[in-house]
Amino acid sequence: MPSVPLSPQKARREWKLYFFIVPSLLLVGVFSYFPAGSAIFHSLFDWQGGDAKQFVGFDNFRRALGDKVLWNAFGTVACLMLFNLFKMIPSILMAVLIHRLRSDRWQYFYRVLLVVPMIVPHLVTLFIWKFFLDPNLGILNRVLDFTGGKSALVWIDHVFGWGIFFENAPIGWLSQPELILPALFLWGFPWIGSVGVLIYLAGLQSIGSEVYEAAELDGIGPIGKFFYIELPLILTQVRLSVVLLIIGTIQGYGLQLLLLGDSGGPGGRGMVPGLWMYNRAFIAGDFGYACAIGIILFIFIFTLTVINNRYVRVDK
Amino acid sequence: MSAAINSDVVGSRKRRDWPQHGILWALILVELLPLYMMLQVSFKNNAQFIQNPWLPASPGAWHWENWSFAFTLIAPYVANTIFVAVTGTLLTLFFAVLGAYFFARYRMPCSNLLWSVFMILMMLPSIANLIPLFTLLKELHLLNTLWALVAVGTAGGQVFNIFVLRNFIEDLPKDLFEAAEMDGASHFQQIVNIVLPMCSPILGTLAILAFLGKWNDFLLPLIILRDKELFTLGVGLIYLDGEYVKHWGQVMAAYFMAALPVIVIFLFTMRLFVRGLSQGAIKG
Repeated sequence: MPSVPLSPQKARREWKLYFFIVPSLLLVGVFSYFPAGSAIFHSLFDWQGGDAKQFVGFDNFRRALGDKVLWNAFGTVACLMLFNLFKMIPSILMAVLIHRLRSDRWQYFYRVLLVVPMIVPHLVTLFIWKFFLDPNLGILNRVLDFTGGKSALVWIDHVFGWGIFFENAPIGWLSQPELILPALFLWGFPWIGSVGVLIYLAGLQSIGSEVYEAAELDGIGPIGKFFYIELPLILTQVRLSVVLLIIGTIQGYGLQLLLLGDSGGPGGRGMVPGLWMYNRAFIAGDFGYACAIGIILFIFIFTLTVINNRYVRVDK
Repeated sequence: MSAAINSDVVGSRKRRDWPQHGILWALILVELLPLYMMLQVSFKNNAQFIQNPWLPASPGAWHWENWSFAFTLIAPYVANTIFVAVTGTLLTLFFAVLGAYFFARYRMPCSNLLWSVFMILMMLPSIANLIPLFTLLKELHLLNTLWALVAVGTAGGQVFNIFVLRNFIEDLPKDLFEAAEMDGASHFQQIVNIVLPMCSPILGTLAILAFLGKWNDFLLPLIILRDKELFTLGVGLIYLDGEYVKHWGQVMAAYFMAALPVIVIFLFTMRLFVRGLSQGAIKG
């Protein structure tokens, strides 16, 4: 039932229908549009969050351009983005592996197992990972001790002269500035996103078995099948995930805030732009400047979204 | 005889699957490791954990008091979170159904304009909103209240839910609405008697998604809530993490309890959830 345009008379008779959209409109207006406008407005002021504010024009933005912390934060976020793109691979492979199983019952079984980790709230997963990375109790260090991985790291450290890993001290994944980015990379191993796998699986389901049989007749091996059959068919879903991932990574700072604190951890190595905005507003009380950072981030993400829509077409 | 050959073929095919099963099991076991650690550590005290981090303690030595401690600690937070998540989800869907009905039923004058008012928000990142939102809530005297979370959550859910629901309501047969209109049903009655029953699967999926989103939220509560009695799970767990000396058993039991209501929901709605996600993937 695609909606049809109404004749003016009928529309006049149905005017009450407008009441149905009013609550949503009010909610969106008050809690989305008003704050957005207010952010633009206040980014032009020196404002501590109270009634007193002073118009400073584009000073906040000029300050941001020369703000080393902010630029380093953008560098960090670029790194995290590369990590996150790499971390998409296991989910894709897992979906393909499940899809290639010949038994439907096993396929369903693995799907159910995939859903199980989703019942743990994100925050709890986050804290358990923090616990895994703990220098004294964490299981990552225990695994490294046990498998001899630590000796290997110490040896490599010795060769290159990093001065990060020592034989008789536990590895401080979250307390040593140089290790913050590697820790954020290891984070969430083996990087399987349940929702992602389920979405890829849904895309894979459109492949009929005759396609596989034809490929087998042509002598295409398992790797060829992945690149010629499976990947092209889930490309829509993969592109969509990439777009959402990029937006999410640039905006995100919850992980860094809880893992490393509001100043981005030792040496500020985990500082991302969102966290710097949070820090300026709620730690330094510099609300005007924080709004300006928010606007810069906003412009950045919006530009990326527009580019995405133009050049990376997501076919429906 | 042909049956025998068939089963032989199937059997050999199945045998060829074993490397895949191996990889899948390895991945899933590592993926489930956090859940396993959370459960088994929750029954240990620190000494037991340091001595034997990997295997569960023998049942005789289980420290059930970890669980009772965690319960008294976390039950109020769970109650607050349930209030916020349930009220927020219901209000989100109620307003979203009304809004989606408005767009799906007729194309009224200004419909397209109003539609773009909502859809633009889908494109706009909300990161810049946080600070003005904080001052707005301060001015509305909603700081340090749970209603602030309900209101912001309800507003935040409108765009996505209206977008999805509009498609589903438009797919309903038009005759149903016309027949109801003949019988003198008002628009509200049409929603209650046609839209709600016929869209119940997607409404269920959307409700679960909205509930999970609100359950996992911690940034806004962290900024807004000050009183310990009002803490939601997010803030409560962050404060628990900030304690200097940690009894990991108690902490893990608390984590598990934070997941418990979600586990219960999943047990009843898993099928709806898995199917809903797949459907959503195909649709959009």
